[in-house]
Amino acid sequence: MKKKNGPLFYSLLICFLFVVLFPFLWQFIASIKPPIELFGEKAFSFIPSQPTFENYKRVFTERPFHVYLWNSFVVATLTTLYCIVVASFAAFAIARLHFKGKTIILGIVLAVSMFPQIATLAPIFLFTQSVGLTNSYLGLIIPYTTFALPLAVWNLTAFYRKIPVELEEAAKVDGASIMQTFRRVILPLALPGTFTTAILVFIAAWNEFLFSLAINTDEQYKTVPVGIALFQGQHTIPWGEIAAASVIVTIPIVIMVLIFQRRIISGITAGAIKE
Amino acid sequence: MKSSKMEMSEKRIGYLLVAPALIIILIIAIWPVIRSFWISLFDVRLNDPTRSQIHYQYAVDVEKVAQIYPVLSKNLRETGNKSARDTSTQLQEIRQEVEEIKGLMDKNKKFSKQYEQVDELLLNGTPIPEELKFVSVDQQTGEQLQKRLVAVQNQLKKLVEQKKLKDDTLYGLAKGLSGAMISPNFIGFDFYKKFLSDSRMWASLGNTILFTVISVFLELVLGLGIALLINRKFFGRGLVRAAVLVPWAIPTVISALMWKFMFDGQNGIMAKFFELIGIVPDMGQLLTTKAGSMFAIIFADVWKTTPFMALLLLAGLQTIPQSLYEAAEVDGASKVQQFFRITLPLLKPAILVALLFRTLDAFRVFDLVYVLTGGGPANATETISIYAYKTMFGQLSFGEGSALSVVVFICVAIISIIFVRWLGTDLVSDGRRK
Repeated sequence: MKKKNGPLFYSLLICFLFVVLFPFLWQFIASIKPPIELFGEKAFSFIPSQPTFENYKRVFTERPFHVYLWNSFVVATLTTLYCIVVASFAAFAIARLHFKGKTIILGIVLAVSMFPQIATLAPIFLFTQSVGLTNSYLGLIIPYTTFALPLAVWNLTAFYRKIPVELEEAAKVDGASIMQTFRRVILPLALPGTFTTAILVFIAAWNEFLFSLAINTDEQYKTVPVGIALFQGQHTIPWGEIAAASVIVTIPIVIMVLIFQRRIISGITAGAIKE
Repeated sequence: MKSSKMEMSEKRIGYLLVAPALIIILIIAIWPVIRSFWISLFDVRLNDPTRSQIHYQYAVDVEKVAQIYPVLSKNLRETGNKSARDTSTQLQEIRQEVEEIKGLMDKNKKFSKQYEQVDELLLNGTPIPEELKFVSVDQQTGEQLQKRLVAVQNQLKKLVEQKKLKDDTLYGLAKGLSGAMISPNFIGFDFYKKFLSDSRMWASLGNTILFTVISVFLELVLGLGIALLINRKFFGRGLVRAAVLVPWAIPTVISALMWKFMFDGQNGIMAKFFELIGIVPDMGQLLTTKAGSMFAIIFADVWKTTPFMALLLLAGLQTIPQSLYEAAEVDGASKVQQFFRITLPLLKPAILVALLFRTLDAFRVFDLVYVLTGGGPANATETISIYAYKTMFGQLSFGEGSALSVVVFICVAIISIIFVRWLGTDLVSDGRRK
């Protein structure tokens, strides 16, 4: 079975990588082109004749992009923190304790994670409007729970199940109560899994578009995806600025993926693949 | 062996720990879906003050009556005094009718009390608190009030048309006063009935299914190919895996914008490339024709989510014991045979799970289409989620939009049920063996 990877393999691999990465490359090139080179003759050239960081500057000076970044960061962080806390308790109970109805509870969690967001949008929007939560952080954190909490419960349950039972039983023999076992044994062991789940929830909340588009329409409360999607130019779409903003958003993601790739992959596959 | 007392407390702690998550999910996710269905049975329109929320009963907008009635009554008298004889009599009759209508309203004790309070608040220029604004009336009174107010409105309209009135001030006031009547907006399944014969609904459903089937199929085939390709040791493996994760991790909006830029009819490099290799006859057609724009959104979706599919399948591949292949090799099975006899059957659960997640994701697609084509050209790529969103936030028709979102929900439920049947209960079963 083990054999040398031939040139065919590497050329396929390079093709694949090129297709995956080309849009990012092109986006970067567009972001350092002066506006005039985005259109006409120079539109297809790979090397800008006069590279400039003007687009990056404009994103922060002409547009409140830093406000979008901050809003996204606050909303995604708070959503992640609160969902992870609530989900940790539930996941521990589902994965470790004996009680009736666990399968049904997990089934509900899974079913809710499959809900189309549009089906909850009208009542949630009307609710946020009636209590004055439109254009606020809480107005997004509440609806984000609909996808973040099931995701967190589902993933954490999968991680908790992987922790060996022996340690828990040893703690029990030593006379530890259930909550002591949870705090002293399970939580420390589940820390990597919890961290991984937090990354996934954060990404999901950071990327969310529909609720944000509907609920936070004020410039001061827009999140990154909505902010960029609604960038307006005077006559044309401001592609240079969009490209610069995209690059700014993509760089931290690339760094995070490089550092945590193993964790993220184990997180994506945790809930889906049985070992 | 555990004592029954221990057993009890473990059970109780279990329920206690699950409760917060379960209650939150119930309130924030399940309740809204039920509520969506409920709203879809009412004609709720945010741009129409008399229908801006669910009304179960007839009601009178006290604030409006208090604002308009005195002015209308006074104007009717003054205009009547200035008008020609026959008009004057008519206006007097109308005034009497309006006063009688007000009298009918006043018969409702709650109304007359609230009216006084509101009147005073209006005099002082204080905003009217929500609880004073409306008074419910019974159906008989409600219908009668509405009929008589509309009659008054029509009489005045006629006078304006006959040029017996100088301007339409009186008509405008009467119209405003009939706007104070709020009728119940329950319409039952009318929206659903309407959608049965709504070609735009069927077209958007068709677009959604077409998009889902083609993109998920392509993602599965390509994802499987990539998973097989990188399921081995090679130089730079970590880098490849990281590269694969980036499209998955960036916001869909960003990827949609990147592709929109590259698909641009004049300056888009991908559009140019597709023209060169002959996929489209003219690069401008990519985002301006139905086939072209459908191709564009499928292409962008495949680019973004194939890596996710590949990762799920790769994880599945890695659970297949190497010894099976070695045994097959010994038995002289070819690579193709190995793929169909070992890889595919053992990968089936992973494939089904990946298909389930991807199919549901693709079916509720919103961000990508909203940003890349906006549903255009001429609704050619409008998916059902987009249609629902536009109905809700474009036309502000929340009842109708909710009905569409319920349709999305039912479709998603059907797809899930089919998959879960296929998968069995394996998906949620307890990993802990007894």
